[in-house]
Amino acid sequence: MEVESERGLSDKPKNGILGSIDLRSSESVVDLTGQVHQLPCCIKHDGPCPVSQYFKPHKTGVEVEGLAVEEACFRGRKLQGATIPLPEGYCGYVLGKKKNPEKSNTSEAHEGNCWKVAAKFQNIKYWNHDSLPSGNDAFMRCFHWFAVANALHKPVTCDDLASQSTTSERM
Amino acid sequence: MGSEAPILPKWASEPCMMGIDEAGRGPVLGPMVYGCLYCAVSYQKILASLNFADSKTLKEEKREELFENLKANESIGWAVDVIDPSELSAKMLKKTKINLNEISHDSAMGLITRVLAMGVLLTEVYLDTVGDPEKYRIKLSERFPSIKFVVAKKADSLYPVVSGASIVAKVTRDQALRNWVLDETAENMHRNFGSGYPGDPETRAWLEHHKHSVFGFPTLVRFSWGTCTSYFKDIVEVLWESDSLDEEGSSNRSNKRQLKLSSVGFTGCKRKSEEIESSGKGRCKFFQARKLELVNHF
Repeated sequence: MEVESERGLSDKPKNGILGSIDLRSSESVVDLTGQVHQLPCCIKHDGPCPVSQYFKPHKTGVEVEGLAVEEACFRGRKLQGATIPLPEGYCGYVLGKKKNPEKSNTSEAHEGNCWKVAAKFQNIKYWNHDSLPSGNDAFMRCFHWFAVANALHKPVTCDDLASQSTTSERM
Repeated sequence: MGSEAPILPKWASEPCMMGIDEAGRGPVLGPMVYGCLYCAVSYQKILASLNFADSKTLKEEKREELFENLKANESIGWAVDVIDPSELSAKMLKKTKINLNEISHDSAMGLITRVLAMGVLLTEVYLDTVGDPEKYRIKLSERFPSIKFVVAKKADSLYPVVSGASIVAKVTRDQALRNWVLDETAENMHRNFGSGYPGDPETRAWLEHHKHSVFGFPTLVRFSWGTCTSYFKDIVEVLWESDSLDEEGSSNRSNKRQLKLSSVGFTGCKRKSEEIESSGKGRCKFFQARKLELVNHF
């Protein structure tokens, strides 16, 4: 599946960007479900590191708002978190830059925005520093966007238009 | 842990005295242990003849021998509170930091509460000072009005009951460190920690060997210690929300305003790598509340 790639490069929108994400290989990529962590800090490191040898979450037995609370520590801070499954119909992806073989006819800008799936995941462990995970956390509330986006982007059908016009006639 | 016999000894209903002392407050690694020893006030003279001296002046074997003796002594009770290094780090690095003195006070008061709950009639408690002796004494007296507190510098060498407590604490700390099982499963780790004091060459060598660029150290180490800060200068930087709050508090206002202006969006929404999380600044409330920001630059 290609996203926005057929639109050409000349009509690059001013407020957006043009790029492509190649999801074709997603069936065969490594599944990181249970191994993706969202930490409440910025780690200025980009690369592999032995997470499972040092980062040891354990279950606390405590449950808050239906979430099984886990504990871990990182750099001396106590983290409290929970495993959040991604909603039905959604999948998490780790993307990597894609090397474009047809380098000749693509501009540099486009070249830099070609992505392919490096790994996928179906849940995420998110961690708070010093506070229990809760539905009020910004991270948890992000999932509200899925429902809003669905409502905003659902194609309007003839039936919708018909029912809309009957409602306005009645008014 | 302690001498929690199923049946409370008869002497416990007589007026009793207790000594409290700590071991492992200074070291950069391992647990901090609070220990206490208690007995009937009437046993005081015999206790003084048992040759408990300040644990630091005794050899390790002698301390262990004395600990075995006091454990076997039916006229003496004891208890310990072992505070793991991960707990010390976590408390001292909380968003609202708890300092070591407060942790120490809580531990000592926890021991008193525990022994009182067992039914021991405590009337006098002797302990070394942590912070200002008079302030500490008032704090303790307010919490336990029925007990007479003696808070003194070098209490461990002045009062045999505190010397005894120092042996309980020191031997427990040494055993805990000796038997420590590292949580981390990385290869090439070893347990030659040395004493744990920052000045000990063996401890320094262990720290150097077990330093990790991303994780810092194994959880045996107290991350909140000044000794660690010098090691962290050379490793991957990690920024926390609680740290940036500290800095904002101390930095002057005009600086702060400038920073904010630059992050509102004149840079074309290019995310700064040092930002801890996305903000949703400049978008409608729905996105701001969820910190969802539009990313158009990768």
